[in-house]
Amino acid sequence: MINKLTIIALFINVVLYSNMATASFDDDEACLMCHKYPNMARITDDGARRSYYVMPEIFANTVHRNVPCRDCHTYINELPHKKVDTGVTCNTECHSIKNPATGKPFSHKIIYDAYSKSVHGRKKIETSLENDKPYCITCHTNPLYNPKEEAPPKHIIDRCVLCHEDEKFAKQWYKHTSRRINEVKRSSIEIVALCSSCHEDQKLIDRHVKQAKIDERALGKKFPVAVESYKHSFHGKLTKYGFTKTANCLDCHAEKDNYYKSVHEILPSRHEDSPVSKTNRVETCKRCHIYADESYANLDPHPTSYQEDNVFRYYTEIIYSLVGDFALAALIGLSILETIGRRRDGVAWRLLHGSSWRRKSKRGRDRKI
Amino acid sequence: MQLSNHASSVLETSMQQNKIDDAEKKEIEDLISALPQDRVVIYKNVVSNPIGDIYRYNIHIRIQHMLTFVTFLTLAFTGLPIYFFDAIWAEPFNSLMGGVNVSRIIHRTIAAVMIFSMIYHIVTITLGPLARIKLGIFDIRRTIIPLFKDIRDFKDDILYFSGNRKERPEMDKFNYKQKIHYFAAAFGNLVMVISGSSFLFPAFWASILPDSMVAHFQELMRISHPHEALLALLVIAFWHWYNVHLAPGRFPMQWTFLTGKITREHQIEEHFLEYLRNLVEDPEEREHLRDMMESRELLNDDDTEQKMDAGDSSS
Repeated sequence: MINKLTIIALFINVVLYSNMATASFDDDEACLMCHKYPNMARITDDGARRSYYVMPEIFANTVHRNVPCRDCHTYINELPHKKVDTGVTCNTECHSIKNPATGKPFSHKIIYDAYSKSVHGRKKIETSLENDKPYCITCHTNPLYNPKEEAPPKHIIDRCVLCHEDEKFAKQWYKHTSRRINEVKRSSIEIVALCSSCHEDQKLIDRHVKQAKIDERALGKKFPVAVESYKHSFHGKLTKYGFTKTANCLDCHAEKDNYYKSVHEILPSRHEDSPVSKTNRVETCKRCHIYADESYANLDPHPTSYQEDNVFRYYTEIIYSLVGDFALAALIGLSILETIGRRRDGVAWRLLHGSSWRRKSKRGRDRKI
Repeated sequence: MQLSNHASSVLETSMQQNKIDDAEKKEIEDLISALPQDRVVIYKNVVSNPIGDIYRYNIHIRIQHMLTFVTFLTLAFTGLPIYFFDAIWAEPFNSLMGGVNVSRIIHRTIAAVMIFSMIYHIVTITLGPLARIKLGIFDIRRTIIPLFKDIRDFKDDILYFSGNRKERPEMDKFNYKQKIHYFAAAFGNLVMVISGSSFLFPAFWASILPDSMVAHFQELMRISHPHEALLALLVIAFWHWYNVHLAPGRFPMQWTFLTGKITREHQIEEHFLEYLRNLVEDPEEREHLRDMMESRELLNDDDTEQKMDAGDSSS
């Protein structure tokens, strides 16, 4: 009996292990020796709970599956390693992965440099308000290839292997290319949600507005109301309802040329190279509104009725509200007054004999007052 | 009944315009003088067909009302979920309208229909009076144009409703309420068309307005469009429906917008001056009124009294 159970247990173990082995990546550096344990975690000095658990079968399906750990975690030189202070920066050159186009070590340097020059650019470790700015991983996690697909479709791989022979290779290429074809751009709703995750954070806005005042530093006029005003604009409303042809944040704030690069190069509107700067505004409007001119570019795409933002709108809104309330009160008041006032005519008589279709009833015949 | 000066003047004008001869004139005046002084007694004792007795609106006006009715509600229902985008009902309501991809097309198409209806109406109300001027039967008191008398009527009606006056004022074909409502709608319509066009053709408005005004104009329009729509919807919901459906005597509804006819009872009650014209223009109406009043023994002329006496003695 015990023997039987042992055999079954062993069998299950072998099956599980073999499954894991096929799905996992090559752990040449033996990092999983420790990081395979789910309880591999600590509480930081700030009280945040950090997990260092790596699930090999998940990591094996991510876009970084071929990158050995130490290509990014370059500071690990011994095992067990020392306390990590700097963390991963995304401009590190990979030692193990070659760029197939150039043959040089692969890196995200081009996009990282573009990002560094933008208004969002920051270092990995920041302590001041700079820390509010997004680092690469704020927007980009380590995504799965195709979360909706458990495995590459057989009918496609069947075709690939006829020439490329190696099924593993074919599956890798399928994952790589299909991901990039499937998710070329984030949707407008996703973009607005992404930008809003910081720009709608009132505490973040407040501390930046406060600091800018102390530093006597210019801050965009619309910075405090950017998301709110966008959501109240036509662009925002239509985007909310899933209309895709209307402008999202990046359609105006990023350069038109090479979207994938320009979204990393966002500049404040006061910067002359910004597409929404005074000089570039007309061209930016023209991307969609082909008849736009200097005069058109005066229109406010982020309208609000706050006094400090738009005095004209503020007072117009007040006047309209007063007129509306007055009209409503007057109309309802008049209706009530009329109903009460005409009780003398006899409301009951009117309901029974009034000149509506009820007059067809026999009750209305041959009456005399 | 003894007519007021204003009513006598209306009657006089109508008889002149209709070239009424002396015999007929006497007949009309006799009938009116034989009516009971209290208009309430008259309108409560006439027989009315619920779907209307007296011609009031021609087919064009009825079509225009129908167009306004349909376009207004469609425009409101497709537009409101966009303005109140963060309301709890906005999303499902918008889906009901087909989603924004569909409703934006509906909104613009129906807006074009509404503008057509507006132009159609302007043509109608211009050509109609022009023809009447040419025929010499135009009377400004019979039109929707506001006059000083409307302010007096408004005051008198409020006095009546608050119990400080014995009877409601004698009002014309269009009373003060209808005039307010009409011009509010006309103004609102214009605001909606202009502001709507500033959303659809912002570049056009930017090109014709001075630079300093463009942004302010657009902001004004952005606020005006929803506010005006909301105001119009509230006016419809609280006032128009009250006046044509819920007001005492109108429930459940008036058929005028379909049949173009108003009930005799309503005409006498709220449009007495117009009813006087009806008496002048339509001999049959005089006949009806006389019969109805006689059958209820409400005519106080000598003939009736003699007949009544004869009837009493014979019985």
